[in-house]
Amino acid sequence: MSVPDYMQCAEDHQTVLVVVQPVGIVPEDQFFRIYKRIASVAQVSIRDSQRNLYIRYRHHYLPENNEWGDFQTHRKVVGLISVTTCGSAKEWPQTLDRFHSQKEVFGATLYDSRLLVFGLQGEIAEQQRTDVAFYSSYEDCPNVEKRVEDFVESIFIVLESKRLDRATDKSGDKIPLLCVPFEKKDFVGLDTDSRHYKKRCQGRMRKHVGDLCLQAGMLQDALVHYHMAVELLRSVNDFLWLGAALEGLCSASVIFHYPGGTAGKASGRKPSLAQGQGQAADAGKRHRPGALTANGISADTSSEIGRAKNCLGPEDIIEKYKEAISYYGKYKNAGVIELEACVKAVRVLAIQKRAMEASEFLQNAVYINLGQLSEEEKIQRYSILSELYHLIGFHRKSAFFKRVAAMQCVAPTIPEPGWRACYKLLLETLPGYSLSLDPKDFSKGSHCGWAAVQMRLLHELVYASRRMGNPGLSVRHLSFLLQTMLDFLSDQEKKEVTQSLENYTSKCPGGMEVLTLPDGLKLPPVAFTKLPIIRSVKLLDLPVSLRPHKQKGLLENNMSTKSPFIYSPIIMHTRGEERNKKIEFQWVQGEVCEVQLMVYNPMPFELRVEHMGLLTSGVEFEALPAALSLPAESGLYPVTLVGVPRTAGNITVNGYHTSVFGVTSDCLLEGLPSVLTSGCVVEVIPSLPRLQLSTSLPRMTRNLCPGELSSSVSVQLFNGETQHLTITLENIGSEDLETLEVASKTCNTKEKLFGEFLSWDLDEAVSQLPLKPGQSVTLTVNIKVRLDFSGGENLLQDLNDDGISVTGLPISSPLRQVLKPRAETKPLGSESSKTDYNHVKTLEAVMTFKYSGGAGKVEGYYRDLTLGVHVDIEPSVFFTRVSTLPATRTRQCHLLLDVFNSTEHELTVSANNNQDLVLHASECQRMAIQVDKFDFDTLPQPDQEALRYTNPKLLEEERLHAQASMINSTLAHPSVRRQGEASVEGVLNQLVLEHLQLAPLQWDVVVNGKPCDCDIIADCRVGDAVPLEVKLTNRSKNAVGPFALTVVPFQDYQNGVQNYALQDAVTFIGSNTFYIDTVKPTENSVCMGALLFLYTGDFYLNIKFQDDSAGQGKELPPSWFGLPSVHIKALEAPIEAGA
Amino acid sequence: MAVCIAVIAKENYPLYIRSVPVQNELKFHYTVHTSLDVVEEKISAVGKAMADQRELYLGLLYPTEDYKVYGYVTNSKVKFVIVADSSNTSLRDNEIRSMFRKLHNSFTDVMCNPFYNPGDTIQSKAFDSMVSAMMVQAS
Repeated sequence: MSVPDYMQCAEDHQTVLVVVQPVGIVPEDQFFRIYKRIASVAQVSIRDSQRNLYIRYRHHYLPENNEWGDFQTHRKVVGLISVTTCGSAKEWPQTLDRFHSQKEVFGATLYDSRLLVFGLQGEIAEQQRTDVAFYSSYEDCPNVEKRVEDFVESIFIVLESKRLDRATDKSGDKIPLLCVPFEKKDFVGLDTDSRHYKKRCQGRMRKHVGDLCLQAGMLQDALVHYHMAVELLRSVNDFLWLGAALEGLCSASVIFHYPGGTAGKASGRKPSLAQGQGQAADAGKRHRPGALTANGISADTSSEIGRAKNCLGPEDIIEKYKEAISYYGKYKNAGVIELEACVKAVRVLAIQKRAMEASEFLQNAVYINLGQLSEEEKIQRYSILSELYHLIGFHRKSAFFKRVAAMQCVAPTIPEPGWRACYKLLLETLPGYSLSLDPKDFSKGSHCGWAAVQMRLLHELVYASRRMGNPGLSVRHLSFLLQTMLDFLSDQEKKEVTQSLENYTSKCPGGMEVLTLPDGLKLPPVAFTKLPIIRSVKLLDLPVSLRPHKQKGLLENNMSTKSPFIYSPIIMHTRGEERNKKIEFQWVQGEVCEVQLMVYNPMPFELRVEHMGLLTSGVEFEALPAALSLPAESGLYPVTLVGVPRTAGNITVNGYHTSVFGVTSDCLLEGLPSVLTSGCVVEVIPSLPRLQLSTSLPRMTRNLCPGELSSSVSVQLFNGETQHLTITLENIGSEDLETLEVASKTCNTKEKLFGEFLSWDLDEAVSQLPLKPGQSVTLTVNIKVRLDFSGGENLLQDLNDDGISVTGLPISSPLRQVLKPRAETKPLGSESSKTDYNHVKTLEAVMTFKYSGGAGKVEGYYRDLTLGVHVDIEPSVFFTRVSTLPATRTRQCHLLLDVFNSTEHELTVSANNNQDLVLHASECQRMAIQVDKFDFDTLPQPDQEALRYTNPKLLEEERLHAQASMINSTLAHPSVRRQGEASVEGVLNQLVLEHLQLAPLQWDVVVNGKPCDCDIIADCRVGDAVPLEVKLTNRSKNAVGPFALTVVPFQDYQNGVQNYALQDAVTFIGSNTFYIDTVKPTENSVCMGALLFLYTGDFYLNIKFQDDSAGQGKELPPSWFGLPSVHIKALEAPIEAGA
Repeated sequence: MAVCIAVIAKENYPLYIRSVPVQNELKFHYTVHTSLDVVEEKISAVGKAMADQRELYLGLLYPTEDYKVYGYVTNSKVKFVIVADSSNTSLRDNEIRSMFRKLHNSFTDVMCNPFYNPGDTIQSKAFDSMVSAMMVQAS
């Protein structure tokens, strides 16, 4: 006996062995169908005796093993069922012959046999036989089970008779010696009459009877017989049979203790269903085997008091098994028996949950040498070891042996290696190494399991699948190895693995589909999330110029109102939500959108990633894949993936797609908890037009104002200069441009700016709308720089005051006509002060072009294009000092300006049609400009900017026109003419302003019906009465008066002498004093008088003012009484008149 | 003297493994890995109530043809496994115990290192040299 039956278990000792075999040609599937039906009759309850007979069916059994049937009767084939096909009566005799010859094989031991004939048509001439049954077809055989039961009963009858025969055979005269095959030659020539020999015979027979009792369902009798046999055999040192008797004792005890069986599911034995009343108790016990194992006493004691005495306890069972095995171990030829006993003991221990002892039995079983084993037997042995280790919960050991079995399948000594079997066995080892083929199990948390052995197993899987001729599987396993074991691979291994992966993928590219093995195992796809490793995913906003903005006021109420609070410091969202958080900005349909990934390459060599693209959902998205090459062990490396959304809606970036080493992978972000992201959902709005801006001025790269600008220009101007900027806007998008708005904003300048910096006329451009794609529109913008022209304090010292008072009362001197420009040039004090004036100032403004069109406009979106305008302002002229001189007329005055040329060029200054003033570089000259006084009240109220005093703004109209033109003095270039305007706006101080202001009381003197002012000479004739009219108009807010005015005539000799003694030259008609009553605001009062000149000559009238309203409170300022002095030339009266 | 010394984390992955015949390291990986079955069995065999008084030294886990495998489990379920040559009969149980004790002390030192993250593989030089002292000299 050389082939162990590893499936054996202790309760097999109570079964009778029936061999079911095909005879002649029987289709295999049909045979096994019938075999299954036969095998379903595993337990037959015998009618009269309330005993059960258990049957073990085999379709293949070695006759060699049958020879051990005396040793253990359950090894003896007692029944034979042959299955055959017989088409016609002609074949029948032949079939019957075959059946008989088959019976011969087991003939010595058979109790009974049956032949099942299928497919027979027609009648058989022969008489009816009890051992033959006919069925028309394999399908139509309803009473097979019944027949088998009958057959079993007939076996039982034989068995029972044999048992009784042997049990009652007490004569003891001639008990035959039972022996195993290898013993036969040992007993030749032995003294058969010795006491020793007889005892041996008795003992063996007892044991045999015990076996029969057990098979016949008489457990109690069996126990008794076994006990007797043990005693008998022990005394004669018949160790092999002693072992068998002990094992029988163990088996009977196991059957008693564990009616549920010890084989587990592996043997395929159906748990016997309750068939009789005796079974009910068994079923009850089966449900609580723990009660038995815990204390070793059956819970159901009432019926078993008698039995339990002979029965072994659970502890004893193991002890006896150990003893039995040690006896078996003495015989080299009983290796199979020993091995099977070990297996049976292990199964019992597994039930008892005593894994440690079971492992000792198994350890022993490993070392049992069965001589030369075939490769197949080795595989079987390792598999069963694995299975048993699994049974006792030693999963690692189980996996180890399974792997050994797998390796055995493809051992080099085998001519046809079974790679398929090897692969299948290897797959079964996976749980033992806590390895699953789903990469998801490895993505969370730390690595689980023993990396070194896991790697080894994966390598073997790869190799086996390759040899199986399934490169797709190899690629999948190799990808899995690379993905999950990356941290444990050495640099050299990484190189080798990737090289072989590339080799495989050149034949069979790896993909993301689930591979299904023939046995139904599914291999989930492996995504290379570590090649490269992604650290963060960031959706990028569009460039500033392409960003869409929501029209304000439109649908503004869709603000998220999750919380009733406007602000809460508690951040409600978790990390997971963050991923789904919507990002504030929008993408635009049809525009290239970007997502930035921070990646790094963990490999010690350059990593080529191909077809790297985005995986999105929600919106039709055209991903534009990129190929990148990451250097070895790179640090964080930014990669920008781009794509174009083709429709509008909410787009979600789910992950990315890569192709590395020929394996394409879809890496989903939700499976990568370590990736940082600030949200992956973004709204895509309908398409908008797109403008490109170009200007006539040079571009500047530097950003000026805070915030991003799409472009900016830079220009250098002299203070006061004006420049035209031509802006061309071209529609380079695909949508019509429908609206365009332009706005400008000057940013954060500290300089005081006068006038409008940027001005434009949009009407012409707007008239060309809508702008079709490809068309362009131009816009001219005037850049006017007008900063403060005042020179500051320190220049005042440089120009000497020429002594002219600017604060005094009006001096109506005819000398003060036009102040001659001063010829002398004052050198500047120091170089350092000069640099102060050469300081270049900058002015920055941002022009915003808002435009919209197409579907995006309907949704209320627009785009901004911003143009930064940067102007460096070089100082041109400074008004270092300003003063006024009263002009001869009361309604005018002279503005004196000290003009300083801070440029390096010569320039000419002209004002109000005055003659040009040529200023050399760094020259300072004074110029006087005659200006009309003006009335503040008549000017419009300041409306724009709040200034320190309101007046300067009002002065805007009264601007000094100073045309500065200069000639470029550099040699090489042709002269460039540039001109600009300087404003005195910032220069005028309060004092000067007061002088420029018209007094609230306006005096008009009319001589001879003509209005008269300082520089007008009124003519009159001697002797004629000259009417004099003084009119007062009150523009102040209060009533003034009453006043008294006295007219004093005098003559000026132009040499400083004034003659007031003119009583005889001029006479008044009426009073020379006028009285003016109170004049209410906005009213006027007129005083009339007349003069008579008696001689010719130049006379002046000095109208003296006398305030009569003394005691009325405040004094009115003297400047309010700027009455003109009247110059009258008295001429000769005409002859006729004189005559 | 040992031929292989391994430290295994609570979650049953190796924190440290070193063996003397370097060329056949994987064999020891398998030996130590399968020994975990026995370790687990031995730990679970001791009832939970007894967990406090449990002896850390597990004794001989299982003998193989060439080696003897000894186990030791700390209270935090970190396992130490020592594989000794079975031909080396001079090695007594007491010596194995003292080796484990030394190993445990050294491991405690490693854990006390504030720069060591529990769960990482052990790369301490002190631990390494202590293990080397317990190993069979390769010569």
